[in-house]
Amino acid sequence: MERKKSFITAVIMALAVTLIQAQEIKVPLRFDFYYDYEQVVEAIKALNKAYPQLTTIDQVGKSEEGRVIWAITINNPKTGKPLEKPGVYVDGNIHGNEIQATEVCLYLVNRLLTEYGKNKDITDIVDRNAFYVIPTVNVDGRAHFFADANTPSSNRGLRIPVDDDHDGLFDEDGPDDLDGDGTIATMRIRDTLGRLRTDPEDKRLMIAVKPGEKGEWTRLGQEGIDNDGDGEVNEDGEGAIDGNRDWAFDWQPPYVQRGAGKYPFEGSGTKAIAEWMLARPNIIMVFAFHNNGGMYLRGPSFKEAGELPQGDLTVYNYLGNTIEKIVPGYDYLISWKDLYSTYGDFTDFTDNMIGAYSLVGELFQPETETFDGTFKMKEEEGSMYRGEASESERQRLKFNDNVTQGDLFKEWTPYKHPLYGDIEIGGWVKMSSRLPHAFMLQDLVHRNASAVIFAAQNTPKISMEVFEVKKIEGNLWSVRVRLVNEGAMPSVLYQTIKNKLYPQDVLSVSGKGVTVVSGGRLIDQWFDKVDYKEYKPEVQLCQVPGFGKVEYQFLVNGKGNIDIKFESKKAGTVTKTVALN
Amino acid sequence: MRMKLLSAIRGPMLLVAAILATSGTLSAIDRYSDPAAVNRIVGQLQQSYPALVKVHKLDVTPGGREMLMLEIGSSGTAVPAVLVAANMSGTAPLATEAALSLATRLIKDESLRKGHTWYILPMGNPDAYARYFAKPLYSDTGNGTPFNDDTDELTDEDGFNDLDGNGIITQMRVKTPDGIWIPVDGEPRLMRKADAAKGETGIYKLYTEGIDDDGDGKYNEDPPGGTNVDANFPHLFKNFGRRSGLYAGSATESWNVMKFAFSHPEIAMVLSFGQTNYLLAPPQGGRRGSFDADNIRIPREIGSQLGVDMSRTYSMQEIIELVRPMVPAGMTVDESLIAGFLGLGAVVNPMREDLEFYNAISSDFKDYLKEKGVTAERFDPEQPTEGSFEMWAYYQLGVPVFSMDFWGIPKPKEEKKEGALTVDALEKMSKSDFMALGEEKIDAFLKASGAPAQYNAKTVMAMVSGGQVTPGQLAAMVKQMPKQPGNEKGDEKKGDPREIALLAFTDKYTEGKDFVAWKEYKHPTLGDVEIGGFVPFGASTPPAAMVDSLLDLQLPFVADLAGRLPDLKLTDVKVTEKGGGVYQVDLWVTNKGYLPFPTAMGKRNQAPFPAVLVLGGGDDYKLLSGNKRTTLNTLGGFQSEKYTWLLVAKKKSSLTINLESKQAGKDSKQITIGG
Repeated sequence: MERKKSFITAVIMALAVTLIQAQEIKVPLRFDFYYDYEQVVEAIKALNKAYPQLTTIDQVGKSEEGRVIWAITINNPKTGKPLEKPGVYVDGNIHGNEIQATEVCLYLVNRLLTEYGKNKDITDIVDRNAFYVIPTVNVDGRAHFFADANTPSSNRGLRIPVDDDHDGLFDEDGPDDLDGDGTIATMRIRDTLGRLRTDPEDKRLMIAVKPGEKGEWTRLGQEGIDNDGDGEVNEDGEGAIDGNRDWAFDWQPPYVQRGAGKYPFEGSGTKAIAEWMLARPNIIMVFAFHNNGGMYLRGPSFKEAGELPQGDLTVYNYLGNTIEKIVPGYDYLISWKDLYSTYGDFTDFTDNMIGAYSLVGELFQPETETFDGTFKMKEEEGSMYRGEASESERQRLKFNDNVTQGDLFKEWTPYKHPLYGDIEIGGWVKMSSRLPHAFMLQDLVHRNASAVIFAAQNTPKISMEVFEVKKIEGNLWSVRVRLVNEGAMPSVLYQTIKNKLYPQDVLSVSGKGVTVVSGGRLIDQWFDKVDYKEYKPEVQLCQVPGFGKVEYQFLVNGKGNIDIKFESKKAGTVTKTVALN
Repeated sequence: MRMKLLSAIRGPMLLVAAILATSGTLSAIDRYSDPAAVNRIVGQLQQSYPALVKVHKLDVTPGGREMLMLEIGSSGTAVPAVLVAANMSGTAPLATEAALSLATRLIKDESLRKGHTWYILPMGNPDAYARYFAKPLYSDTGNGTPFNDDTDELTDEDGFNDLDGNGIITQMRVKTPDGIWIPVDGEPRLMRKADAAKGETGIYKLYTEGIDDDGDGKYNEDPPGGTNVDANFPHLFKNFGRRSGLYAGSATESWNVMKFAFSHPEIAMVLSFGQTNYLLAPPQGGRRGSFDADNIRIPREIGSQLGVDMSRTYSMQEIIELVRPMVPAGMTVDESLIAGFLGLGAVVNPMREDLEFYNAISSDFKDYLKEKGVTAERFDPEQPTEGSFEMWAYYQLGVPVFSMDFWGIPKPKEEKKEGALTVDALEKMSKSDFMALGEEKIDAFLKASGAPAQYNAKTVMAMVSGGQVTPGQLAAMVKQMPKQPGNEKGDEKKGDPREIALLAFTDKYTEGKDFVAWKEYKHPTLGDVEIGGFVPFGASTPPAAMVDSLLDLQLPFVADLAGRLPDLKLTDVKVTEKGGGVYQVDLWVTNKGYLPFPTAMGKRNQAPFPAVLVLGGGDDYKLLSGNKRTTLNTLGGFQSEKYTWLLVAKKKSSLTINLESKQAGKDSKQITIGG
């Protein structure tokens, strides 16, 4: 009987697995569940298949375990090649556990494609930008987060073994899913000398004992055993190299910053993505999605880097202050100052090495899991680390009970531990705490994709006016050119110019049988004040500021047509032909 | 000619012996090996000694050249290894010859290998090195990656031009009213800056030889060549430097060296053959940015989180204790976590403990040279530059690193003032000897040593007589003093002493071929100019005829260095019965080598693979205290440390204790307990 029952259970379970696997990934994509790695790949391929004229997909590289990192590029070939347009790059899930970042990327692509030609704003940004999207950066991390038992925070790093406890063995003692429920929860043991007792308001929580009170519990840490018999539990888990400390701009080794690899770009995936991005110098906007906290962070990532140039701050503030409203409750912050210093960050790399405005989106706020009739809990004082219950945790448990029907919290359950004996295992499950329940996912992906769309509306949009062609005498002409930018972003970043990362944009004048006698930036058109360039006046290096203009004057000797050409890595090429006669 | 050359580097006594020793055993080098020849030699060594030599293809450079690494030895990764990397800047031909010569010696003489595996990279920057063999000759550390030096609209568009057709890029001097250079007094071939404060007016402007190819008003401002491999490593990498590369490791050459080194944890020592010489000038401290682990100031924003008194400083250990209760259970709080959390940054000065062996080995090397009869003084070698290979190897690979340059321009004999004070003399002086020197001599000595202005004879004599410092300590301080640029300047009117010495050297030993006499030339945009000056590489690259004797003299010391690697052994074991089947096992681990394991820097960065004691067996005993795996603490050279376990064994059983390490040797002991 018993046997028969378990057989039936097994059949039902197998069937359920088949059903999940068979769930077809169709465009338009759904956003009421989380995609595992295979499904992400399927979704990328489905989007490409549905919109072959607007998309291309690339194998950017492979992970340590050989999984492919896919990129999907959206570009309308009728409006030009990708490299001739501003590039907007978006990625997510560089930390393996921060999974909803991928859904934001997929949602963005899905929305841009399905609304192209229907929604005017979306049609416009698709026509004049190239979108580069890598939905999942840490493909191994995502695969293992779904497949293995985890805490909400584990499986963050790259699959490169690290000897955390410096005993000559690698990854030999990670947490263990003792009760086999797919979550690494917390272990606690009854202990009258313990520092904790049951919270009278919610028996699932614990609070600190006051002096004189009797204790009830001691926290034993994450679910696991002493796998290697060295007297410590869970001290050397899988990997520990953080993909977001592996980038080579101002990289620091692991003794300076935990989580770094042994050398920059030790991760095969991060290295491949860096090379892929460096081959796309048109990228001017970068979003990297993480969880959690509800923040949009700009650089620099460490204090010593100094502040960014004022011109770039203006752009960041414009984007950040608007995005704060697009995604209510999110804060626009400075990475090192408002959080902490990091080295070898992805966005510092893209800011400095790619020359792109770069924002990190920290998705989701646990405070939105409320049960008091509001949408966000008030911030409260108190330590989250001492294992004491807080008012917010009590409320999140009510949310768990009444809004998610217990999906988020594993009730304390007795367990016989080989070392500790009778203990209890329980706590927040893997798919909680840092990600919204699936029912809240739609709102999260839409609002954050809208943040990207807003930035894409503000990439440089350059037009050229030749506002004066005046004969001075004989064949000598004065030609005045105005470059106007309707986007918030300049045609090349101020930081790029400061760093001399690459040359500024080029404004050139050429024509058969004509010579450019003199030329330079027009500082005052009424008083003819020109900042002349002594050598090679026919080639001017320039930047067109955001929401602004720049003007040049050329003195040209000759007759016939001249070509005036503006060439920008980020903002494309604009040309005009003018007749001198 | 040969006699003359050799006497430039050593005393005459050794000369004959050296020539006798080398003739016949190794083919004399009559020219430097170009990149293709280097790879040919590497290939030939592998073919001739297939059992002993392997070749690793580390990289194909941006210029399309293969960068090969030799592996010499028959034990592979099972024994400690020495990594020798040469010519990372591409501008040190002698270093490449030294590496090839070392490889040949190691193959032919097993005793030199000291039982280690040797990884030898004879040229770490093949693209830059190829320029030494190209015409026209000029020196540039950049590899074959295009780089837009002047950030204009074109790349690599304005390099040097061999205007006078002699195959060498030298200098151009042009008389112009806004010139700043004038000829050196008594040596009109050399130039020096006019000193306006002394009423001097400049005559010349100096340019490198060439034209303004792109018509932008500048000369030779964007020659081909991109990244200096030796500036592309991640310790103190210089962002947006002219030759440092886009980012640390952006050059495939350096990235592959790092990857190789970290994939070979048996690498226990690194030797860098190039332009620095730790044996003559040990690595120097004095950089800003290092923190003092005993006095750490906690930043305000973090201090308020921790709730600590921010007016005082804390030791690393105190901060670890403060932070421990705040982190989630299971998270280890160690120095690196704290350093990152407080933003303390990288270590930028050699660790004090490591300087002890650096200074001692340097002193041994100098004695070794003296023994070999080397009397000629040379100019101090360069200190490593930011982002260099040897800095990275010390600070991030965490192993002992030694560098050698094998040659420097000999110092012309100075007419030293009779009885002038030297550091060596000072070292041995008593307090009264020192005081007896008198103010004048001490002042002259301090000035010559480049001591900061506040240290004059008066203050120093007061310190010595007051007992705050001994003459020996003073000598050590002077040795540690960073060499200031003005230090070797000498009399400014006589020009740059290095240039004078180089000119004297080439006049005397190479028939002046390292200097091109100034000759008039009609320049297309500058008008009447003169072209001339030093030939590139002259200051770093001795005539090929000198190479063998220089290497014969110095390469044997490499085996000496390799012989100093730490060598951990289980020297003694004692079992004491405590009653009730309980036994105490005491084990002594001894480092029979000279160098510590790990270095202080290696302990700090935790990069070296640890040495671990592993207890074997397990069914017939139970540990009461101690672990089956025990990571060893730092063990200094010739030091021992005791490790203890308490265990209970009911019946007689045998227990194996293994010492496992990749860099510091292996050992095993079997003991019997119980019964």
